[in-house]
Amino acid sequence: MATDNANADGFGEVSRVRGIVFEYLSLGASVFGLVALGVLLVYVSIDAFDLANASPVWLLTYFLTLVVPFLAFCLYSANDPAVTRRALGVLGGGLVAVAAVFTAIETLLVPIPRLNWQLAYLFVVGAPVTAYLTYVGSGERVGAVGFGFLGRLLGGAALGLAVGTLFLVFDSLVWFLAYTLGVVPAVALYAFGSARSVPQAQTAALPAGLLGVVAAVFLRGVVPTYPSDLLIYLWTIAIPVAAAGAFAVAERRGRTAAAVVAGVPLALAAAGGFAAAGAGLPAPTVLLVLVLTGVPTAVYVSRVVDAGEGLVGFALPVLLVGGVVAGALIVEALGVPAPDPWLDPSFLTEAPSQTPTEAGLYPAIVGSVIIIAMVAVLSFALGVGTSVFLEEYTPGSGPLGTLTRIIQVNVANLAAVPSVVYGLLGLGLFANLLGLGIGTAVTAALTLSLLILPITIISAQEAIRSVPDDLRRGSDAMGATRWQTTKNVVLPEAMPGILTGTILALGRAIGETAPLIMIGAATTVFRAPDSLFSRFSAMPMQIYVWAGFPQADFRYGVVAAGVITLLIILVGMNGTAILLRNRAERGN
Amino acid sequence: MASSHDADATGITRRKSLAAIAGAGALGLAGCTQSGDGGDGGDELSGPINIAGSSTVFPLMSAVMEDFANEHPGVDPDISSTGSGGGFSNFFCTGDTDFNNASRPIQPEEEELCAENGVEFVELIAATDALTVVVNPDADFVDSLTTEELAQIWEADPAQTWDEVRDEFPNEEINRFGAADTSGTYDYFIEAILEERGHTSDYQATEQDNTIAQGVAGDQYAIGYFGFAYYSQNPDQLKALGIDDGDGPVEPSLETASSGEYIPLSRPLFTYPSIESLGEEHIAEFARYFVEQTTNEELVAGDVGYVPATEETQEEQMSILEDAIEQAQG
Repeated sequence: MATDNANADGFGEVSRVRGIVFEYLSLGASVFGLVALGVLLVYVSIDAFDLANASPVWLLTYFLTLVVPFLAFCLYSANDPAVTRRALGVLGGGLVAVAAVFTAIETLLVPIPRLNWQLAYLFVVGAPVTAYLTYVGSGERVGAVGFGFLGRLLGGAALGLAVGTLFLVFDSLVWFLAYTLGVVPAVALYAFGSARSVPQAQTAALPAGLLGVVAAVFLRGVVPTYPSDLLIYLWTIAIPVAAAGAFAVAERRGRTAAAVVAGVPLALAAAGGFAAAGAGLPAPTVLLVLVLTGVPTAVYVSRVVDAGEGLVGFALPVLLVGGVVAGALIVEALGVPAPDPWLDPSFLTEAPSQTPTEAGLYPAIVGSVIIIAMVAVLSFALGVGTSVFLEEYTPGSGPLGTLTRIIQVNVANLAAVPSVVYGLLGLGLFANLLGLGIGTAVTAALTLSLLILPITIISAQEAIRSVPDDLRRGSDAMGATRWQTTKNVVLPEAMPGILTGTILALGRAIGETAPLIMIGAATTVFRAPDSLFSRFSAMPMQIYVWAGFPQADFRYGVVAAGVITLLIILVGMNGTAILLRNRAERGN
Repeated sequence: MASSHDADATGITRRKSLAAIAGAGALGLAGCTQSGDGGDGGDELSGPINIAGSSTVFPLMSAVMEDFANEHPGVDPDISSTGSGGGFSNFFCTGDTDFNNASRPIQPEEEELCAENGVEFVELIAATDALTVVVNPDADFVDSLTTEELAQIWEADPAQTWDEVRDEFPNEEINRFGAADTSGTYDYFIEAILEERGHTSDYQATEQDNTIAQGVAGDQYAIGYFGFAYYSQNPDQLKALGIDDGDGPVEPSLETASSGEYIPLSRPLFTYPSIESLGEEHIAEFARYFVEQTTNEELVAGDVGYVPATEETQEEQMSILEDAIEQAQG
């Protein structure tokens, strides 16, 4: 800022004090926030996994069998002596430093509750180093293969569970009819049209599909007998997914390979589904998990094998599973007391209870997942629609331009309205006036969509506005209509920004409690909701009421497990959206 | 399909074998069908039960619901903790819930609201609670208060320092933590202690007992009140005061509350089923189950921390309930 003390004779002296102070102030601001959040997360994880009761031997065992091999894998992939030296230096030096600092604080200042230096080391040094090495390792071929493989396994399983959860509420029979009568004919017509160059068939595809869907809704009550759920999922999801996988492989490797890559996982998944049905497990979910894990993984494996690079990466899941098994065996053999985590499988599959050890979150998880799925669709459609109209179709000047600006200012103000007000709106409008019912899932989804709509609109508008006008003009100059320009130029270009805004808004929606209280959502339900009009509870509601329970086990253990579950689901959801966004970015 | 090879010899044509395979497949699939109505029939109880109301009754009701839901897989109960008053005015008297829990009797204006909307109900006693006044464990100066002293602390124009209440108390400011005005605990405290003297607004009001406990535990000169359950689960965190209603101080406990010594702060807890809802068999059955459980020592006293009903009270409640069910199902 030379003008601050301008000197007519030349450049003069410029004080750097303000600049340096500013730099350190911004550093302080970021460190404060991150450290506070970090401490909160550390304590929540310690409570949820009962790490305070983990003996040092237990921690050391798993560190050696699980964390060290993982780090070694990442270092092997990175294949960079400098990184290896740095990582080992931090791990070793951190051990001494954390132990010394921790002991010093404990003896000189205050005792630190429910932490010991081993845990502090894991959180302060172990976790960041692991994250850094994961990042570095995944950048190279071996790591990319390993994490790509692992990600498809985990992501497919998560997707299968999520789809299975949605079908708890949405009528699978309507879906079966709609798919058979609407989707299949539409896709067939379209494919026929493009293969034989019959544009009429392509044009007819959409109306035919819509007709089929409408027919399905009417036929739902008329048709008396349906295939079992397992067959419905096999026909409507497993076979199309396998077909898509085969299609992806066929272009590269020919039909035989495609049939093998898609057919083997499909057959395994179908066999698994029928076996699960025989064993009394939830067969449709087993089928969905197997097929959504198996097909993408098989396609990925075939692609990597073709490329012929980084095949060692496939060892990563084996390494992790082996580490867990070896750790468990060693702990068992040594007789080391293992911690008893609150967040265990039964917490995710059981209903809430008055007994802390039996309490579970299952109905609330299902409620939250269903609501957030509906909110994502609704707010995306409404938000993108509104912002495209405001940005692309409204005039910039004249009385209508003024009206547009007034609307925009009001939308921005709506983003600051407290969520309780949206709750009241939802209670009055959706629950009472439209008669959708107090505390039902559909009322909640509509209310939360309205709540985040302003955020979605504003971010989508920003994204659309940032598309350079040159692109629009270029498209216009080619003779494109406004619809073609919007569809082919503006939306693809703006999609990453729109998705970023939607992700942030959904993160807010999944954690909301106040509007749910206002619309009368239940605090505790004992069964997962089975229709859009059944009462539900959401994770934040259940966590809130647990936090008020008299027993300390609820307030510390069960609440912490609930918070971690909520965070994991949030991260999973955001991860999916980020993947989609990155794909959209690459598409450009 | 080896059969096509020697079709003439055996009389098995390709068409026939295809038909046979299709027939077998259809038979196989027939075992994998379901009917469109998806009903699970039978006389098993099924249907939703919606309950809202008092956060004090919440742990008791939710424990009973949990057991009932485990016994009857078709029943889908849900419960919201809204406060007694919030539950009546927002959900029960508008006909949206089947039961409303309350930690004090229904009030006249709420009865009017229910009557306007044509909601009829019966009153059932769920358990007895000992409303507990707590101070910080380090507050050595006080072990008990008379009802008059308690009223001085909480009335609309309250004492500001402890020595205004009793001369030997320290000259320190009183920090109050209590129930919010949507709570039945708040209403009952006014009725039992304050009456027309009104409740102070100079206090931290909350529906969460935990917040009261944290506030009092962190401040040597704080005072708070809430249901007995929280204190019984965390006796070391806070100090409960004896209450002197003229016959010497009585400490809150399940014994003193059930024997009637702990007055005036031992209070009945209620639940109000809607008569219309009792017309549905699964709700009537749940109400019966609830009344049966009110004498269950292990559940009411052990798990939740309230005083179970006596056999006599239970019989009375059961006959009130049966009359209501009869009226509803007529």
